[in-house]
Amino acid sequence: MTVLKDLRPVYVVGVGMHRYQFASDTNYIHMGLTALRAALADAGLEFPQIESAFVGCTGIGMAAGRIMFNHIGSTGLAVTQCENASASGSSAFQLACLEVAAGRREVSLALGVDKYGDQVRAINKEGVGRLSDTAAIPLVRYALLAEYLKKEKGLQPEDLAMVAAKNHTNGSKNPFAQFQKARSVQDILAAKPVMGDFTSPMCTPRGEGAAAAIVCSAAALKDLGLTGEPIRVLSSTLQSERPQVGREMGSVAVARAVAEKTYEEAGITAQDLDIVELHDAFAIEELLYVETFGLCPTGEGHFWIRSGAAEINGEVAVNPSGGLLAQGHPLGPTGIGQVHEIVHQLRGTAGPRQHRGATTGMAHMIGLGSISIAHVLRKET
Amino acid sequence: MKLEKPDLCAPGAGHGTHGPRLVLKAGLCAACGQVHFPKTEFGCPRCGAAPDRVALHALDGAARLLAFATIHTRLSPLITPPCVVGEAEVAPGIVEEVMLVGDEMLYADGMALRAVGIPVARGDRQLMAIRFEPAEDAA
Ligand SMILES: [Zn+2]
Repeated sequence: MTVLKDLRPVYVVGVGMHRYQFASDTNYIHMGLTALRAALADAGLEFPQIESAFVGCTGIGMAAGRIMFNHIGSTGLAVTQCENASASGSSAFQLACLEVAAGRREVSLALGVDKYGDQVRAINKEGVGRLSDTAAIPLVRYALLAEYLKKEKGLQPEDLAMVAAKNHTNGSKNPFAQFQKARSVQDILAAKPVMGDFTSPMCTPRGEGAAAAIVCSAAALKDLGLTGEPIRVLSSTLQSERPQVGREMGSVAVARAVAEKTYEEAGITAQDLDIVELHDAFAIEELLYVETFGLCPTGEGHFWIRSGAAEINGEVAVNPSGGLLAQGHPLGPTGIGQVHEIVHQLRGTAGPRQHRGATTGMAHMIGLGSISIAHVLRKET
Repeated sequence: MKLEKPDLCAPGAGHGTHGPRLVLKAGLCAACGQVHFPKTEFGCPRCGAAPDRVALHALDGAARLLAFATIHTRLSPLITPPCVVGEAEVAPGIVEEVMLVGDEMLYADGMALRAVGIPVARGDRQLMAIRFEPAEDAA
């Protein structure tokens, strides 16, 4: 199998965002073009120089990207709509990288834009009943997993709150975050109860927003005189879930498999990572994934997070953007918003969120169903 | 009273504490010999065998509770919080999310459960929904 690193080098050269926010009457085209124009300015490119675009979107409807691009000049670029649930933006990014790596294009765009839509889901058309009326609600599965882990490894509600407090505090320094208020462990514990030990700030909010990342080849870097500092994409890996074995949820098992594969493809180990943006739709996930990604020994995720290792300027900055919990999770843009954060961290332009000496980062998302996707990015010196 | 989810269950023998006992409609695959739940019209999800290789296989509605928690907010229009949801092993190796009768104080991890029918209001109709209750007479 050919992997990204065997092909032409791919670089992220421009990133931009529209702030994630609660559902509003903001037109999606306004949000998408805001992110796109910011990414173009960051790269030092004009829109006609973009040869292809992959648009991650779940809730707006057919041809969202094509309609949007009409308003920035119909250049004839190749446009592909990309829906992969919560990982739509991540998949759009992967496809844009592959186009450039394969030599099909020199400059490609991944853009995620979403509104909180009507939540039409294939699972509701499956025609297969479930015993529980909550079986299609991810929150319920993760809250039950947290209950199990509480007894299995002595997890405390404070451990969940610590993840949420860290990510909300990171989000308070991020102008694009949906939540920009620092919160303490006590604030999180005292918030509205949702299920079991979960309170509302331990769960990702619903929202809308946009994020864009422009990727290009080494030739384009040279020929187009790009101004954005390039960040190399070393790997991008996607797999879907297998049937659950024992107590480990299929989505957790596939997250582990994808991390191991993407490290191998990138030629790195977990110890090389300085920045990890991961799928913390629920705080319990971060406690699990820091173990499954090998950032700390198995069974020690909560001790590792309690030690401050996952904070900015700790061992590895985990979700320095605020993650899905605080930066937000508008679905289509989420995976590209992660790339936005990692690129700024690796360039050293993350401002008050800057993690010292960051050179390597990983973005990880899960899409309903579920699929897991991860990319490794590195600053080349 | 009609069953809310007749694809998943059927009336069983006898009564539980909160309602009549129910059996669950699983599938038994002739190609791979494995049981899956629920049986569907699509075939075997384990090995991919076509629907005609899958036979209806009744599970007795006995289950073992693995984890549970109380839902405090209305996550779905179909539920009325507070309500208790858990994960239970309904057959060896088959773990399903289940809705539990009553308060979480009634439950403990590892507890034996059984499926019973409980009336629920759905629009202007009363239907018999699948819930699980402690099976104190079970091992
Ligand atoms: Zn089979």
